[in-house]
Amino acid sequence: MHIDAQQENGICRLQMEGELTIYHSLEIRDGLMGHLAANTEIELDLSGVTEMDTAGFQLLLAAKREGTRLGKAVRFVSHSQAALEVIDLYNMAAQFGDPLLLSARQ
Amino acid sequence: MAKTIMVVDDSASLRQVVSIALKGAGFDIIEACDGKDGLSKINGQKIHLIISDVNMPNMDGITFVQEVKKLANYKFTPIIMLTTESQEAKKQAGQAAGAKAWVVKPFQPAQMLAAVSKLIMP
Amino acid sequence: MGMDQALQTYIEESRGLLDEMEGILLRLESEPQEEETVNAMFRAAHTIKGSAGLFGLDAIVAFTHVVENVLDEVRGGTLAVNGELVELLLKCSDHIGLLITVVAETGEALDAEQAAAGEAIAAALRSLLGGAAAADAAMPAVHEARLAASGGGLLEGDYWHLSLVFGRDVLKNGMDPISFIRYLSTIGDIVSLRVDDSELPELNAIDPESCYLSFSIEFKSEADKKTIEDVFEFVREGCKLRIFPPPSHLAAFVDRLEHASGNTDMLGQLLIEAGILTGHELEDALASQESMAAVCGGAKPPIGEVLVNEGVVQKEVMDAALEKQRQIRDHKAQEAKFIRVSAEKLDELINLVGELVIAGAGASLLAQRSGDAALHESTSVVSGLVEEIRDGALKLRMVEIGETFNRFQRVVRDVSKELGKDIGLEIGGAETELDKTVVEKIGDPLMHLVRNAMDHGIEPAAARVAAGKPAKGSLRLNAYHDSGSIVIEVADDGGGLKKERILKKAIERGIVNPGQSLSDNEIYNLVFEAGFSTADQVTNLSGRGVGMDVVKRNIQALRGSVDIESAEGRGTTVRIRLPLTLAIIDGFLVGVGKSAFVVPLDMVLECIELSEADRKAADTRNYVNLRGEVLPFVRLRDQFEVKAAAGKRENIVVVQYGGQKAGFVVDELMGEFQTVIKPLGNVFRNLRGISGSTILGTGEVALILDVPTLVQLAVARDEQLAMHGA
Repeated sequence: MHIDAQQENGICRLQMEGELTIYHSLEIRDGLMGHLAANTEIELDLSGVTEMDTAGFQLLLAAKREGTRLGKAVRFVSHSQAALEVIDLYNMAAQFGDPLLLSARQ
Repeated sequence: MAKTIMVVDDSASLRQVVSIALKGAGFDIIEACDGKDGLSKINGQKIHLIISDVNMPNMDGITFVQEVKKLANYKFTPIIMLTTESQEAKKQAGQAAGAKAWVVKPFQPAQMLAAVSKLIMP
Repeated sequence: MGMDQALQTYIEESRGLLDEMEGILLRLESEPQEEETVNAMFRAAHTIKGSAGLFGLDAIVAFTHVVENVLDEVRGGTLAVNGELVELLLKCSDHIGLLITVVAETGEALDAEQAAAGEAIAAALRSLLGGAAAADAAMPAVHEARLAASGGGLLEGDYWHLSLVFGRDVLKNGMDPISFIRYLSTIGDIVSLRVDDSELPELNAIDPESCYLSFSIEFKSEADKKTIEDVFEFVREGCKLRIFPPPSHLAAFVDRLEHASGNTDMLGQLLIEAGILTGHELEDALASQESMAAVCGGAKPPIGEVLVNEGVVQKEVMDAALEKQRQIRDHKAQEAKFIRVSAEKLDELINLVGELVIAGAGASLLAQRSGDAALHESTSVVSGLVEEIRDGALKLRMVEIGETFNRFQRVVRDVSKELGKDIGLEIGGAETELDKTVVEKIGDPLMHLVRNAMDHGIEPAAARVAAGKPAKGSLRLNAYHDSGSIVIEVADDGGGLKKERILKKAIERGIVNPGQSLSDNEIYNLVFEAGFSTADQVTNLSGRGVGMDVVKRNIQALRGSVDIESAEGRGTTVRIRLPLTLAIIDGFLVGVGKSAFVVPLDMVLECIELSEADRKAADTRNYVNLRGEVLPFVRLRDQFEVKAAAGKRENIVVVQYGGQKAGFVVDELMGEFQTVIKPLGNVFRNLRGISGSTILGTGEVALILDVPTLVQLAVARDEQLAMHGA
């Protein structure tokens, strides 16, 4: 799992690449914490997520809540199939449901 | 991309039947004849589930599970232990080692498939 | 290889089912909504799907699953059959056929075009379904919308409710809730799922390898509780799982409890058997029962209470379970008290005991003759025991009269309707025991008495109210033991017997003389006299008489007696007194030559010596003058061709049966004697004047006289002679 960060108009775009799973959960948490502390608006691009499990999902949820707590915007965009499946299963499209969600599926 | 299951058992016929059932369901199978063979075949590749017998030559199932759990890339891999009714103690040992699922021998291919399906999807 | 052969069978089976399905579909167009045909179609899809699962043919499972859902709706009547649907289902049938050919037979996947066609059909099917069944819909956003709109089509809220709180370590163990929830959707439809993240700490406090989420799921499924619970079998450790059945199941649960086999009276087992509770739930409840006991210091709360308080079992279901448990326990207690034995076996036993008595008596006699005191002593002990065995064996035949009484509940209900009277039946002494044979034979006389009491005894409501009595009449059947007999009472609270009218009628009929003074009791009992009255007069008489003589005869045939007691305006009680058993008789033993005979004691009126004059006269006539009355008699010596010459003295035993008196001429009067009746063998079936045999203390056989037959014989002969003489 890699998290590539890019700054664009004050928005921090995080490109998540690889497995969003328990195996990498520690590094993902630390990465997310770091970016949340340093930015006011974060956009997580999930298009590169090849696999996602409950541990990964839990982290995204926590990040979103952390953003709300800190008054920072946390958005998820370009969900990959793997990410969508989990969000769908957990019926959490509303929380993760950004407009871009729809375009993620062909 | 099909998910991969490792089947570790010293009985070739059991491995075959399990393989047929699981391949039919869309899984890729790696067969190993005992714990030692299993460890050597893990070989860095992605394995989504391990099915392991308890009593095997060279390295028994319990030891095998303990070894797998030490490997950073496999420590969260779900493991199904193949037990028999009389092996309650072995089942406990297997669970303690980290194999939290089990299928009691003898079993129908469908039973194995059901147990696997609870843990991973193809 | 086995699997291949099985797969071949599956392919053939599926093709057969598809042919059947197609046939039904074509018929369905002309005769829509045939329930059984839709069912057959549903089963076909269900079987194809089910077996496909066995072979891991998931493509077939996935597709047939949707087909099955649609057929389920059709079956349930929520989807109407029309040309369009039939068209679509025919396409489904074709597509399943294709899947069988490609997926099952060759083991390949469909090509892109075929798969797309299948998906189009599945989409069309899904569009027919309510929101819930389309849980595997494509787009989350759309999914949401569908869920929101799902209210109408489905029975609102009739889902399983699952509450899942996974253990913290579940993820570390390689178990992901996602997998279990996915698996869950293979045995039903997840209608809605809510993730509870209230336990999720702030990002920096998270152990990302732990699971903080819990879930509540509305689940639509035909599966039973155990199956649903088994989905989570690998994560039970540390997991809090609660499964609440759909509301519609509650009635089914109660129903299942009511029809439980009764194999167990343990509450938990009972609930498990009915599919309400699972073994794990019971274990958990037992554990918390223990821990509660530990906290509260000793007293364990009832397991039922624990299960209800923890929300595992609903209160109304628990009530039904407790009721069932009580029933089973009652039944068990009954079973513990009784065993069922065929009456035949008992008869056989009693017969053998009879033989034993004979053999025992024979042995005693020999012992006595031998003069060996020790032998005599021991045989008398044996005799005592044999007697006890005899009594015990006879007691085995005793049954409670309650069952016979209860049959009258229905009779009273029906007859009161028929008569337009409101009459209630009360039963007392239902546990009173009497011989099974007697019970069988008492039914008819009782029926007669009950009908009579309802018809003529109890007045119409208006008359009752006028007389200051409750409008509802009351009939009471009661039984009790009284000095070696059983007494059965049939009592009503009707108008009672009218003495004057009975007396008047009896005088008219020549049953009593006008000047005769009779006690009240004697007057009432006149209704049992033969020819006392006929039906229409009886009705005028407020009551009794219709075939009461028949009732009396029937009861006498059982060696019983009947008595009537009445208070005008307050009611009438008919009291039947019967021997406890027909197998024992209180007899009067008489001797003729070396033969012994037994006369049932209750028929004996008196014994007189046959005077010298009468003896002489008896050669020419068959009657004596008994205090001015003509008493016809039968010489037992002649009747039974006893060879020995007559003794110096002869006696007459005067008996009465059915209002007729007669005498039996015998040599010796040997006194009262209680004994076991042994039925006659087939050889003696036709012997006139003998009803059975018994064994004397000496081991000799005595014949029991059939008094009714002999009385009839004597009377008939007497009349013949009289006619002859005239």
